[in-house]
Amino acid sequence: MSSAAMRRPLPILLIEDEPSVTAFLRAALERQGYTVVQANSGADGLERLKNGSFGGVISDVRMPGAVNGAEIHAWIHANRPALKSRLILISGDTANSDTQALLANSGAPCIEKPFRVQQLISVAEKTFGKP
Amino acid sequence: MAEADWGGVLVFEEHGAKLYNAIELDEVKNAPKREWLMNKAMEISQDAQVCILPQEKSSTGVFIPILSSGNERLGAVCLLRPPRALQAHERRLMEALASHAALALENFRRFSQLERSKKNWVEDIDAITDYIVVHDKRWTILRTNRSLANHLGVPPVALVGEAVGTLRQLAETQGALPCPFCMDMEQAREEHIVTARERTFLVSTSRTLSAADEDARTIHVLKDITDRREAERRYRELFDSIQEGLFFATPDGRFLDVNDAMVRMLGYESRDELLRNDVGAYLYPVPEARERILHELHAKGVLRNYEETLRRKDGTLLYTLQNITGVRDAGGRIAQMRGLMLDVTEQKMFQTQLQRERDFNQKILNTTQSMILVLDTAGLISYANRRCYEAGYREEEMIGRHLVELVDGAQRKEFEAALETTAHGQQVENLEARAKRGDGTLGYFSISLSPMRDEQSTVNSVVVVMTDITDAALLQAKLAHAERMATIGRLVSGVAHEVNNPLAAILGFTDLLIENPEMPASAQEPLGIILQETQRTKYIVQDLLSFARQRPVQKEAVQVGAILRQTIKLRSYDFTSHGVEVVEEFEEDLPATIGDSQQLQQVFLNIINNAYDAIQESGRRGMIRLRTKRVADSIEVSITDNGTGISDAARIFDPFFTTKPTGKGTGLGLSICYGIVRAHSGEIQCWNNEEGDGSTFLVRLPAATESAAAAMEAAG
Repeated sequence: MSSAAMRRPLPILLIEDEPSVTAFLRAALERQGYTVVQANSGADGLERLKNGSFGGVISDVRMPGAVNGAEIHAWIHANRPALKSRLILISGDTANSDTQALLANSGAPCIEKPFRVQQLISVAEKTFGKP
Repeated sequence: MAEADWGGVLVFEEHGAKLYNAIELDEVKNAPKREWLMNKAMEISQDAQVCILPQEKSSTGVFIPILSSGNERLGAVCLLRPPRALQAHERRLMEALASHAALALENFRRFSQLERSKKNWVEDIDAITDYIVVHDKRWTILRTNRSLANHLGVPPVALVGEAVGTLRQLAETQGALPCPFCMDMEQAREEHIVTARERTFLVSTSRTLSAADEDARTIHVLKDITDRREAERRYRELFDSIQEGLFFATPDGRFLDVNDAMVRMLGYESRDELLRNDVGAYLYPVPEARERILHELHAKGVLRNYEETLRRKDGTLLYTLQNITGVRDAGGRIAQMRGLMLDVTEQKMFQTQLQRERDFNQKILNTTQSMILVLDTAGLISYANRRCYEAGYREEEMIGRHLVELVDGAQRKEFEAALETTAHGQQVENLEARAKRGDGTLGYFSISLSPMRDEQSTVNSVVVVMTDITDAALLQAKLAHAERMATIGRLVSGVAHEVNNPLAAILGFTDLLIENPEMPASAQEPLGIILQETQRTKYIVQDLLSFARQRPVQKEAVQVGAILRQTIKLRSYDFTSHGVEVVEEFEEDLPATIGDSQQLQQVFLNIINNAYDAIQESGRRGMIRLRTKRVADSIEVSITDNGTGISDAARIFDPFFTTKPTGKGTGLGLSICYGIVRAHSGEIQCWNNEEGDGSTFLVRLPAATESAAAAMEAAG
């Protein structure tokens, strides 16, 4: 069990302020076999990042409060270089210039809301690997 | 001669046939009739004649003529006696008698003539209406005529012997001499004027100097010249008081008389100064002018309203209007010029000033960039400044036409209301109206209407100032549109974000439910519909976002013609299957433009799709004409269809504006095109075709300079 527990992959941190979106993402990812830890705001997400280790991060770009997708990206870039390539951004507003700037800057994949389950899984597997 | 021999001697006067008897004919025995004797006396000539008396053969009459000293026959002496030859001494006696008779007769005649002449003279003097008084050197009246006596109300003789001083009432002037009419006794002749009781007399005095001192007499003739003097006085008064210059001049230009106004006009000190100097040559700055006047005066006799410029004493010019009459001498030559002169210098100056002002105003009217028109109260154009014609309007579509005809139909009522307001005296400022421009296209004008009033301050016309603000209006419209688009962009961005989150959950869970094997089969169909509608909503939001998205344009040198051909290929199946003809008119060697071929294709596809839809809707056999050409530094792509046309060109680029049936379009396609073209620093416009059906879209993109295009190629 312990070896199995050892092989057990690290959870995916899901940072999203919209509960319905969080619920759907969690359901879809868990159905695929991923373990999901959820944070309900940018600040919450940042806190969990500092205190835990994750196999990947999925973060919304626009969130209320002091911490948004850009801050998460910047923190990971500075403090968890291993996670740099394991970040997926999701956004409902790619027309926003800040979002566009972040996307261009980070080079992280971005899934535009709304998206199909297949789109999500395909990007997740490509970025995090199969669970 | 014996007494018996002399039957009687008779003397006959020739013309009076008067008989002077020496004896009574009745006493002569067998005397002939008086008439017979007289006739016989008339018959005889120079010689004595003897003839037989008719009644009595025993009696004869001997007739001897009575001749005057001038051998004129005065009458005859007749001797009646018995027939007997006339002895020589008898004859001598009779001739002596005849000679005496002649003398007596001549004297008598002279005296009676003298008497008659004297009487006539008095009558003649009395008939003269002038007053005549004669006095001697002792100042005693010798005689007066009847007119004077009548004037004084006394018989003429009553004044004779009176002192001439009693006539002082006829002369109020108190002279030094006892006679009120005598001024200087040494003068043989005198003439002066005296007045009395509002009458004026011209006293002409004559003195007899030749006669002895005692008989020296003074004759005064008093002529009443009161009326003449009054007429003269009035004439002079008129002459001097009227404002027009009056003059009498010789043909060589010397003034004979002038009035005060004339002196004043010509700037001389006094009448004398003007008359004294021969100013003729000086007066005319152009010497030929005087010749011309004389010439015309000679030909016509009068000059009416003749304009002439004269020189004042100080050298300044005097503009005059003259009326001159020429007085001719016996030979028909102009002897005198009489004229009336008006000083029109002020009018002339005023006229010049007016002309200058008019020229100035004309210049303003002609050089202003605004069109200025004058309308009568009926709204008909009565004047249009030069600018109107420069702007391309023709005179026949302006003068006499209603200005409202130029105004776009939709705004005519508004314009007519403004005109009405102005006709009631109120100014209308900056009325913005669409109106026909000089080249026939519609343009935007800022129109100001001002009432123009006549002397009674009734509005009799309207001044219209029209400024073509088409360019400004278009610019403003573009700015307003751009601003609107930016606002909408921000709004859409926000809305999209809000909608996309719930949509993500709906779409995601629907996917999960459909894939869930535990779902009953009956749920599959409704879930499929949810999925489909969610997808549709997703696309709407995507459209919205792509409109709002400020995605940077991929910068590469692209050929518009190639992009157009690719775009048409995308729809070629539909075009051929629905019989839509596509006409390509591409200019060769069109320069490249710098841009994003994908985005530009989206633009052209959108326009072509709309064209196709409009053609389908019209039910006509379709044609889409694509044209490219270079205009200055731009590439113009025009896409023309023969479909139903545009219902509202002003709103067509606004987001969500659509005329398509629900579900067929989001109303964002052209908004996106607009955004893309703007991002390419280009312009997009559309209008309904003037000729034929359908509409035209014009996309204007900046042409790439050759170096820029080459650089892009190299980089690409």
